[in-house]
Amino acid sequence: MLLNVALVAYVCATGCALAYLVQREEIISRVTSLSALAGWVAHTVALIARAVELGRPPIGSLPEAISVAVWVVVLLEMWIERQYQVKVLGAFVFPVVLVLSLKASSSRPAALLGPTLQSAWIWIHIALALVGIAAFVLNFAGAVMYLLQERQLKAKRPGTFYYRLPPLETLDRLTYRTLALGFPFLTTGLVLGALSAPSSWGTVFTSDPLVFASVVAWLIYAGTLAGRAAAGWHGRRAAYCAIVGFAALVLTLGAGLFFPGRHGS
Amino acid sequence: MTLFVAGLNHVSSPVEIREQLAIDDDKLREVLRDVQGTGVLRELVMLSTCNRVEVYGVADVPSEARAVAFRHLCSLRGIDPARIEPLIYTRLGPDAVRHLFRVVASLDSLVIGEPQIAGQVKDAFAVAQAAETVGPTLHTLFTQAFAVSKKVRTDTEIARHAVSVSFAAVELAKKIFAELTGKAVLLIGAGEMGQLAARHLVEQGAFPIYVANRTWARAQDLARTLSGTAVPFDGVVDAMMAADIVITSTGSPQPIVLMETVQRVMHERRTRPLFFIDIAVPRDVEATVNTLDNVYCYDIDDLKQVVDANLRERQREAQRAEALVEREVGKFMLRLRDVEVVPTIVSLRERLEDIRLGEVQKALSRLSDPAPETRAAMEALSSAIVNKILHTPITKLRESSRAGAGRSWTELVHELFGLGRKT
Repeated sequence: MLLNVALVAYVCATGCALAYLVQREEIISRVTSLSALAGWVAHTVALIARAVELGRPPIGSLPEAISVAVWVVVLLEMWIERQYQVKVLGAFVFPVVLVLSLKASSSRPAALLGPTLQSAWIWIHIALALVGIAAFVLNFAGAVMYLLQERQLKAKRPGTFYYRLPPLETLDRLTYRTLALGFPFLTTGLVLGALSAPSSWGTVFTSDPLVFASVVAWLIYAGTLAGRAAAGWHGRRAAYCAIVGFAALVLTLGAGLFFPGRHGS
Repeated sequence: MTLFVAGLNHVSSPVEIREQLAIDDDKLREVLRDVQGTGVLRELVMLSTCNRVEVYGVADVPSEARAVAFRHLCSLRGIDPARIEPLIYTRLGPDAVRHLFRVVASLDSLVIGEPQIAGQVKDAFAVAQAAETVGPTLHTLFTQAFAVSKKVRTDTEIARHAVSVSFAAVELAKKIFAELTGKAVLLIGAGEMGQLAARHLVEQGAFPIYVANRTWARAQDLARTLSGTAVPFDGVVDAMMAADIVITSTGSPQPIVLMETVQRVMHERRTRPLFFIDIAVPRDVEATVNTLDNVYCYDIDDLKQVVDANLRERQREAQRAEALVEREVGKFMLRLRDVEVVPTIVSLRERLEDIRLGEVQKALSRLSDPAPETRAAMEALSSAIVNKILHTPITKLRESSRAGAGRSWTELVHELFGLGRKT
């Protein structure tokens, strides 16, 4: 019930955020923020209620985990929007939020983790990976905005995006910071997953498509971060990397949802 | 009693007429006093800028007031009033309110969103206030107009985007670099517009500034005026390594910044963005450099294109501003109505309430130890009578002001009930 309230609020936020891109009315922006906040609060309560009901963190199956990731994404979105004064950010984040929450609410498998798997490390593994994924959703949004603004500036024909999107440097900083935020979480999450896997699953984890895809995503992000820190990568190259990395992450989740494996349903 | 505006602006009249009618503040004061002296206007504000001459007033017969005002203006400049008569527009009531709101919000300006007009209207209003020709209606009107103008500026982007080439360049730089503070600028050549753009960048905090010129002395001169550093002309490539923004405005017939040079520079800079503002004609920078990653190159035509887009953006924002003004006009007309009759309604209520309380008190004192129910009943009875009696007069008063006759009605009510002088 509460999850549905959250979903409706997110739909509203998505619609308003996209409308705000076209029509610069303050009221639309305010409705966007309010519905996002309302959705997030409902989502929070729903998650807590679910945790109490299940007697464990509500991240025991992939759909549950995605729902929590969405929760973190919305929180980050609201925070970054305030911090960077990027009012159009929602237009690039909420569609992703919406797709993910629809995905999470449409598939409802039973808890994946058997009692033998339910160690504290597993929960931390999942939670950390989720925060990482959430940061990379924002990373992706920043990269898309960067590429759009860059195109406008190169084409020399100012359009909606030129006027509405923040400066390139701001967007570049945004993608860098979200990468720097997400990477340690993803890394620690993956390492914990790997460490706790052999004792629980034996060696089969290498044949799990989710593990494979997430390692690919991790490699892409690691490469980007190294390029940024060591070689001073900026701008387009970093933005493309963010998009490719996110595609790998989506594949990761897709692999978990659609293909059999230890993570899948 | 009608609020009106009469005047001529850059659309209705040619500049030859406007420049003859335009007057300074001293003369304005004089005209205000003269016109006020004729007694045909109750309130008066006159606005005189190079783009418009307008009379805002409250008068019983606006056409007469308008004729008087312009006759005085014309006699001051020796113009035949008949010549300008056909050029004058007149707006009454809500149309006059809308007109002022649009003028102050810079929606009626030659360049939409230009910043001067609000200040000019403020000055004109201050002059009229000093000359004591402003009454309650115009005071409310102008105060509200300034608030509307501010609202338009903050709620719409009508005045946001640059409409000159040099400012458009600064704006582009901000779209690339976000903060211009601490961004290095290299100015090559001494063209007028290049210097202007460099100065704007300095004002925005750009630093340090390098100046290169074929003539060393000229480079030093320019560097001094921009608080920058002169660099030798054959050292521009080194300066380009350090710079974030390069402005070129030389008279060179061939490009002086070549694709191959920029490629080399960018190799060194890695991915640090470089923004070329090429204001020279013929161009100083090879246009192909724009295809390089993290290099942005705008020539004069590109900048003009940005200015055109900005003007269109202002037009779009102006439509939103018009809607905002329309809402404000509606609100103001309601308020104006209140300005006229509300004080009367309040004092009428107070008067009758005084009487009621006094009589209730008297009646109660005649009863020995009245029961609380008796007290309550008397209160209720007297209140009901007062409200019933007041209902029709108050409704009529509101209606009268809606019909534009509020003032004569309020005077009558004050007279009938012996209310104090109105404020």
